[in-house]
Amino acid sequence: MKAFTRGLLVRLAGGLVMVWIVATFTFFLVHVLPGKPGDAQYEQFVMEGLEPEVARAKVAAIYGFTSHEPLLDQYGGYLWQLLHGNLGISISYSGVPVSHVIGAALPWTVLPVLSGLLVSFLVGVAAGIVAAVRRSSRWGGLLSLSGSIVAGVPSFVLALLLALVFHTELNLLPFGDTSDVSLEPGFNLPYLGSLVEHAVLPVATYALLSYGGWLLAMKSSVVSVLGDDFILASELRGITPRTRMRYIGRNAILPLFTVLALSLGFMFGGAILIEDIFDYPGLGNLLLQSIGQRDYPLMSGAFLLITVAIVLANILAELCYSVIDPRVRR
Amino acid sequence: MIASLATLGALSACSSATGSGAGGAVYTTIDGNNPITVGAPMNPFNASTNTFLGYDTMQLAFSKKNPSDPNDAFPGLAKSWTITPTGITVELQPDAKWSDGTPVTVADVKTSLAIALTQGNATVGAGFLSQGLAVAKVTPVGEHGVRIDQVAGADNLNFGRLVLGQNIVSDKVYGGLLPTDIWETIAASESADTAVAQAAVTKLTTTGKAVSAFAPKADVSAGPFVITRINPGSVVLDRNPHFYDAAKIAPKQVVIRHYTGNEQIWSYMTNGELDSAPYTAIPNNVLTQILGAGYTRKDSVNSVDAAIAFNQSVAPYNLTAVRQALAYVIDRQAVTKVGEPVGGVANKYNTGLIDTAAKTWLSPDQLSALNPYAPDAAKAASLLEGAGFKKADGKWLMPDGKPWTITLQTVNGFSDWIAASTIVANELSDFGIPTKPAITADFATYKKEMAAGKYAVGWWLTALGPQTSKGYQRYYGADDGYTATGATATHSDGGGNWQHGPTQYTLSGATLDPGQLTARLATLDLVAQKPIVQQLAQVSNQEVPLIQIWDYTNVQFTSDKRFTNFPKQGEDAILNNPPGVWMMQGFVKKK
Repeated sequence: MKAFTRGLLVRLAGGLVMVWIVATFTFFLVHVLPGKPGDAQYEQFVMEGLEPEVARAKVAAIYGFTSHEPLLDQYGGYLWQLLHGNLGISISYSGVPVSHVIGAALPWTVLPVLSGLLVSFLVGVAAGIVAAVRRSSRWGGLLSLSGSIVAGVPSFVLALLLALVFHTELNLLPFGDTSDVSLEPGFNLPYLGSLVEHAVLPVATYALLSYGGWLLAMKSSVVSVLGDDFILASELRGITPRTRMRYIGRNAILPLFTVLALSLGFMFGGAILIEDIFDYPGLGNLLLQSIGQRDYPLMSGAFLLITVAIVLANILAELCYSVIDPRVRR
Repeated sequence: MIASLATLGALSACSSATGSGAGGAVYTTIDGNNPITVGAPMNPFNASTNTFLGYDTMQLAFSKKNPSDPNDAFPGLAKSWTITPTGITVELQPDAKWSDGTPVTVADVKTSLAIALTQGNATVGAGFLSQGLAVAKVTPVGEHGVRIDQVAGADNLNFGRLVLGQNIVSDKVYGGLLPTDIWETIAASESADTAVAQAAVTKLTTTGKAVSAFAPKADVSAGPFVITRINPGSVVLDRNPHFYDAAKIAPKQVVIRHYTGNEQIWSYMTNGELDSAPYTAIPNNVLTQILGAGYTRKDSVNSVDAAIAFNQSVAPYNLTAVRQALAYVIDRQAVTKVGEPVGGVANKYNTGLIDTAAKTWLSPDQLSALNPYAPDAAKAASLLEGAGFKKADGKWLMPDGKPWTITLQTVNGFSDWIAASTIVANELSDFGIPTKPAITADFATYKKEMAAGKYAVGWWLTALGPQTSKGYQRYYGADDGYTATGATATHSDGGGNWQHGPTQYTLSGATLDPGQLTARLATLDLVAQKPIVQQLAQVSNQEVPLIQIWDYTNVQFTSDKRFTNFPKQGEDAILNNPPGVWMMQGFVKKK
């Protein structure tokens, strides 16, 4: 237990260093982007009929949350505020705390990403086992082919295809929101049904995107395990096929746990494109919007959150791995 | 897997009573200027506001955007008004109430105008006076009247219009955000003592920040609707029973949907989900689908123009003959057909104004005397040869013998400019000037690099109106290095603009300063403006500081599926306002 705690602390310390490095990198990265907050807003005001001087002054007022201190001072202040759990004040939201803006968008990325990952993992792993065990049959071949096809499709192509088929052409599934706005939010069937209905397209995209990877990785892992001596020994000892499958599954799934953590990170990154296509109002959409508006605090906050999610997922994966595979603990 | 998920979605759809169209009285639309912003407050002064003009955000009046009369407006919270040189007297709607049942009062107007002065309309000294909203005091007149006086000496012709166009918010909700000495601070911001004025402006700016970051717990609206619920991707507004003209409002509910790009709006329309939709750049095949889905197209004048601009500090674009030659080479009709087949009309006169405005300001004789720059390769070649250019191996060489190539700059997000750039590049390349389009990543970068003088030739928005002073700003105003103080302008060619043009032109033998003339436009009445506008139009046509390619058209779509009696084609004044204003004026009836 002591060793486990010590290991956990070491990993958390390493994670904190990683977060600090990424936070520093993204802080300076977003500040070297060309362009100023409010440039597009100025054009909008002028097009709406404001005199240029008034438009300029108005932009200065509503984007008056931009810091004009030297960059290193801003960085020091940013880190100091970060230590106090404060992500800063949004520029494009005229002074609304970044944590509030991110908090409003975050659930709409986490829920679909996790759902998509879970669905694809379960379906992909099960299909991978079948594809490996029945690899000589037509079904095994078809399963492997399906995995190869969806693994090769770029995320935005898949998302556009699903949007075209299920929304534009068939008008079966909605997009552009998280639920029907006319429904009272709460633990009631119409609202929950609407939540599911609106999440189907992004979740299906996330699931399909990673399903192929899980299937092929699991198939390869199972095929590898099938050749191990302990499988031959278990057959010779007359252990039932069901128990043998449990042995195969447990051993074959081990390498996939590390990939699971990494996938979480990739999916958070992929959320940017997918949310944009489905107009799903999550963190990815927010990040795109904040980049366009040069909202430095919001960009830094969103990047930081994605970093923290990936670091934590990696730590969790390592801990799970040591629990699942006793050999790692030795 | 997708099939099972789709089935799940379909099943859940059955279990959820879809709201759109429920009871046939839900009006679904998109606010083109204001997508729903997750986490933003219901505060019209926030940059990412989740409030909606004409629905729950009200003004005293809504401009008709009439180029011949800038003060022409539809009544809003003001039933009527009288504009004088020293201010404006407004008669409030006698039955105007907030959605909490309390009446709209002079205090609300006074608080709203004070807030407006904290939101960027306040700058130090003469600049402030020249900007228009120089409110000296707000006083009650009778039972429902308000008198808003302009600061003595401000003399801004647009003062009344600016007052009418401010957002009016509830004093009960917003009044507490203002310091008790707000009007003394506003007065101090106009002090001749720069230190006093600066301290006051700083205080106003601090107050402004507090106001813009404020998040009211609930929407308090004096408009026809009030926000009931905000989703991350849509907003539902219920009819406000206390609205002064509630009987005119047919929809019991309005749903405003979020969008991030044109494609989503097209998709909603092809599915018939919207009752009205704003314009987005639309390819012809999508337009056909939208019309097939039962939408009617409504075009109205839009005072914006897409143009190709030059950095005249870069040779050879400092030469008038070169700019004229390029205007002869570019076939504006052909370019518009590709760039803006739906929402654009090829510009005919190249006057710095949209053609509709040019026809208003110039006489028929003056119009016919303008050079239409009809495509003419021979004229273009003759102009270039006259300027010392030579053609060798089918390519034009500059007077110094160097090859002439053009990088035509455009920006990501402006799909019409990008499409049009390809045609322009082909035309110029065919003529013998190898041209390639280049796309900047986003608008913020485009502005930054423009300011750095990085582009020699590129796309730009011009002819912004409807006021002529704004129309010429992009040519001979702040965007070309001029700073106006009242009716005079100083020029500093310090970059940050496209043109870097000369400050003097010769027109019919007379010398004129376009910057000074443009600055005067803001201070003159319409009659006095006319000869100046005519001079600016003629000299812009002659000098071609920009080549106007197309005038944008304000295209909107309406569907009679659930509602009827929409504004018709040709009713530009109402079509140029949000649907909430249509409803206030008696348009939009339940089917």
